[in-house]
Amino acid sequence: MTILNGINMDVKQGESVAILGPSGSGKSTLLGLLAALDSPSSGSIKLDGVALENLDEEAKAALRKQKVSFIFQSFMLVDTLNALENVMLPAELAGVDKAKQKAEAMLERVGLSHRLTHFPNQLSGGEQQRVAIARAFICEPKVLFADEPTGNLDSANSDKIADMLFELNRESVTTLVLVSHDMELASRCQRQFIMDSGRLTEKVSDSTMAQSAELTEEASAWS
Amino acid sequence: MELNLAWRLFKRELSQGQLILIILAITLAVLSVTGLASVSERLQLAINGQASKFIAADRIIDSPNKIDPKVLSLADEMGLSQVSSMQFNSMLYAGDAFQLVTVRAVAEGYPLKGDIELSTGKADGLPQADNIWFETRLGGLLGYPEQIELGNAKFALSKEIIRLPDAGFNPFASSPVVLMRIEDVVKTQVIQPGSRVTYRYQFTGDANALTAFEQQAKPLLNTSQRWVDVQSGDSPIAEAVKRAERFLLLASLLGIALACAAIGIAAQRYCQRHYDVVAMLKTFGASAKQIRVLFGTHLLLVTAVGVCLGLIGGLGLDRAITAFLPEEIAAYNPPMMRPVMLGLGTGFISAFMFSAYPLMRLLAIPPLRVLQRQLEGLHLGMWLHLVLSLSAMAVLGYLYSQSLALTLTVVAAVLLLGVLLSVLGFFMIRLGHSVGMKTTNPLQLALAGLRRRAKQNAVQLVGFSSALVLLLTIFALRQDLLNEWQKQLPENSPNYFLVNIAPEETQPISDFLAPELKSAPIIYPVIRGRLTAINDEVLISRDQKQDGVEGRVGISRELNLTYRQTMPPNNEIIEGEFNQDKFDVSVESGVAERLGLSLGDRLTYTIDNQELTVKVTSIRAVHWETLQPNFFMIFTKEALAPFAYTSMSSFHLDDSQRGVILELIKQFPTVSIIDVGAMVSQLRQIIDQVSLSLSLVLVLVLLASALVMIAQTEAGMATRQRELAVLRTFGASGWLLRAATGLEFALLGTVAGLLAVIVAEFTLYLLKTQVFELNVYMHWPWWGIAPLSGALVVALLGIWRCRQLLNKSCGELLKGH
Repeated sequence: MTILNGINMDVKQGESVAILGPSGSGKSTLLGLLAALDSPSSGSIKLDGVALENLDEEAKAALRKQKVSFIFQSFMLVDTLNALENVMLPAELAGVDKAKQKAEAMLERVGLSHRLTHFPNQLSGGEQQRVAIARAFICEPKVLFADEPTGNLDSANSDKIADMLFELNRESVTTLVLVSHDMELASRCQRQFIMDSGRLTEKVSDSTMAQSAELTEEASAWS
Repeated sequence: MELNLAWRLFKRELSQGQLILIILAITLAVLSVTGLASVSERLQLAINGQASKFIAADRIIDSPNKIDPKVLSLADEMGLSQVSSMQFNSMLYAGDAFQLVTVRAVAEGYPLKGDIELSTGKADGLPQADNIWFETRLGGLLGYPEQIELGNAKFALSKEIIRLPDAGFNPFASSPVVLMRIEDVVKTQVIQPGSRVTYRYQFTGDANALTAFEQQAKPLLNTSQRWVDVQSGDSPIAEAVKRAERFLLLASLLGIALACAAIGIAAQRYCQRHYDVVAMLKTFGASAKQIRVLFGTHLLLVTAVGVCLGLIGGLGLDRAITAFLPEEIAAYNPPMMRPVMLGLGTGFISAFMFSAYPLMRLLAIPPLRVLQRQLEGLHLGMWLHLVLSLSAMAVLGYLYSQSLALTLTVVAAVLLLGVLLSVLGFFMIRLGHSVGMKTTNPLQLALAGLRRRAKQNAVQLVGFSSALVLLLTIFALRQDLLNEWQKQLPENSPNYFLVNIAPEETQPISDFLAPELKSAPIIYPVIRGRLTAINDEVLISRDQKQDGVEGRVGISRELNLTYRQTMPPNNEIIEGEFNQDKFDVSVESGVAERLGLSLGDRLTYTIDNQELTVKVTSIRAVHWETLQPNFFMIFTKEALAPFAYTSMSSFHLDDSQRGVILELIKQFPTVSIIDVGAMVSQLRQIIDQVSLSLSLVLVLVLLASALVMIAQTEAGMATRQRELAVLRTFGASGWLLRAATGLEFALLGTVAGLLAVIVAEFTLYLLKTQVFELNVYMHWPWWGIAPLSGALVVALLGIWRCRQLLNKSCGELLKGH
């Protein structure tokens, strides 16, 4: 079964990109491929210059460790670890020094310094997602993949989380690839792609076109 | 870093109670193995210790001539204590009176174990030089002389012996025993070349030295020399002990199997709970090695805690049971090395072998699961799991029991259960297709539930039915063994034997005892005779056969023959009909088999230098353990009438009736009275102890079963919650859901009960034929009781487990809190 077909996209460093589409359109499949979680049956994907199709599982894991991070709709926190320990996790896996101090700083950054020793089931949904955001940024990833990051939250919390996400993204100059069916959230990204029945088209609006042109120039100036 | 993480995860999960089930399962396995191993080792040691008092040593060599001094110096090298003695028959004179006696001439140090009981109490040392100690009835026979002559020497008759520790149990021993110093034998000059003497060498020492000695000394013995140890006696004790040991082993084995199943299920749950964690870790770039180390360490910590708790519990159990045991048994302290090592082995081997497959699946969880929750990755097939589990069970079983037959029986039972379950699982999925999901009828809802959860149900069935199999098997076997023992030792089993009753004393003794016993005692005439020919073919001895003489081998000693009008109690005819004509004889089945006899064979005996030929007309089974007088050959009165005889009898008297015995001795001084009360009470004690340990095993088994069952219903609670939520949303009433849930579990319980009966009957058949030598019969009531009680118990358990879900409102269910 062909899920994705004829997809061609190019995301520059530091860019924020939204992939929009209805359920079952293939957004998450695409995200899995881009994030080196899955392998395409044909075609080629380059992540920060590395061709993913030539990598085995171990090499992909190593690549994710160094360059990639994630935020999920269902938060994916480890129930049995407290907030601080959850945030420390990727840093520890990557062997980062002073993981604990960094994690504490990150949690302070997302406004949860008073919740360090709380377990996920003692936190609200919004708080859990803030822990997940802190976890996502602790290793200073080059690319951040977010799968419906506000999908499980009410609108007040959604806005707060979105603000926090975009703010941190700007500060750390991370490339953001966001999958959502929330138009409002998507509109905060620099570029929007629409996924429909396995096909991807870029939504071009005047403002985004202008922004996009600017950014492309910037990106080419860097390279 | 991974180790840190593993430790943190472990600490957190432990304090949050997530690891309770798997730790409990491991603890229980280790506890039962360690506890039972140390208890049975203690019992074993105690029983051997008690029994070795009966042979006054740990090992004995009996020989018709002096043995090679090499053997004795070997015993010295091994650090064994030894003492030698001689035994021979001789005539003893007191004035004009004379009596044939059995002389026991012993060296300083005798007895190595146990005590010589004298009429004045326990003996301190041996008779002094030129003194002889004598059995009470010798005094009666000779009229209590002060001095006697034995060969060319004179001795003072100084003390009365009540019992020698190694007197053995032989009611046919006809001549009274006297005890003297071995140094005095020379003076008597009765031992001449060619005299019939038995040289007896007794040894004691620690178990390892004895084993080493046995290995090196046995090959040095010739065929006329006999090696005796505690187990080699034909005593009923040895047989009871061996069976009890095997039972304890089996119970622990089945216990291990069940605890393994509990560990297996708990391990699966443990791994499933970590699927998301692994997917998440992989997403964040954890390498395969990091995850392996992380979960390997985690599981190691979990196992270590379980094993430690199990060891502590096991040793505690041993202490607790020891507190209930009589002091003489509690005083034995077996080394704890073996039980502890067994516990350690069981914990680690079972935890790792049973977790291997779930762990492999866990490690193979693809990172993509973070986006697609249904992904599970690797499916290596159940066969691998089965192979790993079975080999774990077999390895543990063999390590523990050292018995291939037992181990293979347990493995065969598990295999049969596996096959039945897979066939059943297949049909459940097939047949279930026609059943829809109508939400009006609880039975249909239950059936639909069973089908939808076919795979999960198969796992649940493993737990329910293996717990039931275990319970049924142990229960049936315990009952059979207890019945068997009870049969051997009924409340009033004889504690006194009377032998050497002269013909003219038969009636007076019967008259004397009848009012005390409330019935006339059964008195058996005893005539000594030798079997010389079968169907006119003259028999040869075993020694002749070894020297190359051709011919049929007979029995090289004199037999005790008796006659009776009717079959004695505790005997049953296997073939033919009990003596009808004058020259009929009834033969015991064991001896018939050994001599190759069949109905119609003609046997020729020499009795008092006369020949008597009779025809075999029946073959009897005899319960040798019953402590009743038993005979190989029973004739008709007419056939044996011409021969001289003495008589014997056995009866039961309560302790309060001891006066009767004293009166009996006074009135009939020449009759020998053998008091087997001590032996009977020892046998009883052993049986009581064993019964206690059997009950303990049952309790442990029940605990293990309960644990497995609870673990079973735990699995699949989440999906059940979702389903209940959906059904509630669509308007199913509380009653309907409760009934459907109850019925679903009840159906599962019925099937489990039925499976359990089939497997238990099969297992019992194997065990009874291959291991225990018990009668095989079907347990028909079980076929109804097991499925019914299975249904009831499982339904109640299921409803109890689901009660919170069933009481929840639709909204709560949907929210999942």
